[in-house]
Amino acid sequence: MKEIRPDWISKTLAGAILGFSLALALAGLFAWLGPGGLATPNKFQLVMWLISPIWLTTMSLSFLFTSGMRAWLCLGGANLAAYAGLFACRHFIH
Amino acid sequence: MRSDVVRLYKVVHTWTGITAGMFLFIAFYAGSITVFAEPLARWSSSSAPVRLTALAQSDELIARTLAARPDAGKEFTLHLGETEDLWARLTWKKGKDDKTPWSADLSSAGDLRLAQSYRSSLADFVDNIHRTAGIPGANDIGETVMGVVSAVYAVALVSGLIVILPSLVKDLFALRIGPNLKRMWLDAHNVVGVVSLPFHIVIALSAVVFCLHEPLYDALDYVVYDGRLKSIMAASNPFTAIKKDEQPAPMLPVNVLLDRVKGASPSFVPVEMRYRNAGLRGASVQVWGYDTRYMTRGKGFAVISPVTGEIANTDYLPGREGTWTGIVATFFALHFATFGGDVVRVCYFLLGIAGAFLFYSGNLLWIESRRRTERRHGGPVNQKTSTRMMSAATVGVCLGAICAISITIVAEKWLGGRVANIDVWRNAIYYCVFLGSVLWSFLRGAAAASVELLWLAAIAAAAIPLTTLTGWTSPALGMQGSASMAALGVDLVALFAALCFVWMARSAARRAEYGPADSVWAAPQRQLREAAR
Repeated sequence: MKEIRPDWISKTLAGAILGFSLALALAGLFAWLGPGGLATPNKFQLVMWLISPIWLTTMSLSFLFTSGMRAWLCLGGANLAAYAGLFACRHFIH
Repeated sequence: MRSDVVRLYKVVHTWTGITAGMFLFIAFYAGSITVFAEPLARWSSSSAPVRLTALAQSDELIARTLAARPDAGKEFTLHLGETEDLWARLTWKKGKDDKTPWSADLSSAGDLRLAQSYRSSLADFVDNIHRTAGIPGANDIGETVMGVVSAVYAVALVSGLIVILPSLVKDLFALRIGPNLKRMWLDAHNVVGVVSLPFHIVIALSAVVFCLHEPLYDALDYVVYDGRLKSIMAASNPFTAIKKDEQPAPMLPVNVLLDRVKGASPSFVPVEMRYRNAGLRGASVQVWGYDTRYMTRGKGFAVISPVTGEIANTDYLPGREGTWTGIVATFFALHFATFGGDVVRVCYFLLGIAGAFLFYSGNLLWIESRRRTERRHGGPVNQKTSTRMMSAATVGVCLGAICAISITIVAEKWLGGRVANIDVWRNAIYYCVFLGSVLWSFLRGAAAASVELLWLAAIAAAAIPLTTLTGWTSPALGMQGSASMAALGVDLVALFAALCFVWMARSAARRAEYGPADSVWAAPQRQLREAAR
């Protein structure tokens, strides 16, 4: 098995920044595509609550990446996919 | 679990724990007390027996208050309870942060008595310490810092779990009390951490939300809602469920409104009614109260029209919420212990204290680990500056917060009604004791300070029931406490805490005198002797 490099700074930043933006996008996808759609009254509260578990789970587990580079690449890729979906929602659903 | 993963996460756990630990200690200790905010408010309430207007006279009280003071109609509160922390049946204030509300009552002769008084609550002060860990300045600074601390805390939880997973079965139920003190502390830290892990996960995730919800909403509005969040929030607002209408209209009696709410939810126990725009057709009443059968956000409420008697909104009425507010209410309840009544509150109190212990023991382990590596060199040891500083900080901050909270509580009884601005006094007392303790700890060193501050903590905690006793035996002081079980409970818990602190102080003194000399916990003169050996 491949050795895990510590890469503290880059992994921490990847988890904190990309983990947060990923959580934001996934919560956003739930807001758009989850039951009731975007404008259902009071749904926004749960949407906001979704951010912290996704963000902090991602951040906690980001040290499992074999290197800081891989953390940035993988989380960056996940972000790209999530934001592509989110902007598609914003563009196509009204 | 691969051993390199465990090694990696041990580092993560160490550094997240050591940065967040002391903030969390204060937040957990004060939070445990906040679980019993109501008994604390009743304990500290003024002794003068207030005769509240009979509930049956509420309608007369409302009508006469509105006739005398039409400005009260905009927003006033009718208090339905009979507990000693209430000082009037009807109150109103200008804006949320107005600390000098007006109150109205009917005297026994039937006269309307209006009064304005300064109001500020000790329970709120302790709650503020809980939310900000006592970080001074505007509340939002402290809360933002604590939001970040809570995020770090969540990472500490996951990493701690990963570290212990491989040896979970072996270590969990082993509490090896013996000569190896570090082993014992580690076992205790592990068992408390693992057993209360679900509680800690809930607290960490919800605390991040409570502290950072505003920036989170801003981010969502920008990225997800495309600027439409404000209007969605407005459409969800329960307080605007009744449309504005400035035509004068008669209002239904209080009893009828309460009956309507009872009809909507029989197990709901109302404690206050907040009227808005009273006397107009667009008037609304929020009936706030408790329902121990459900998981609630604290107090729940129904919005009802006092003119038509129609219930306009039940989004926050326990058991009658919609899907979305219902789910979120569960998260609130899991943080605030607002479900299951007193049994759950007691459990949360104990879990909170156990949490404080977790962070304290975590710091001890950090110090103890560093000590061991120095011992390998052989010969006399002089502890590193970093462990000295960390031990002094841990003792000063943790015990300082404990002492400061106790002394602030005691001072409330002695100063209440005697000083003009109790807020200033509370802050002065809390920060003097807290900063004084921290300074003391650095000056005296952790070993001596831990013994001395634990004695101070014991005395300060014992002063709580002693104050109550003094109040009862010397009525001339005018601070007789309330005789309710709730208030008495505060005295009993404080007495028990005092005994615990005495036990800890004696153990700490023993360790300083007879424990290993090559430790930051040995008495200063023994450490010096060791270094000169």
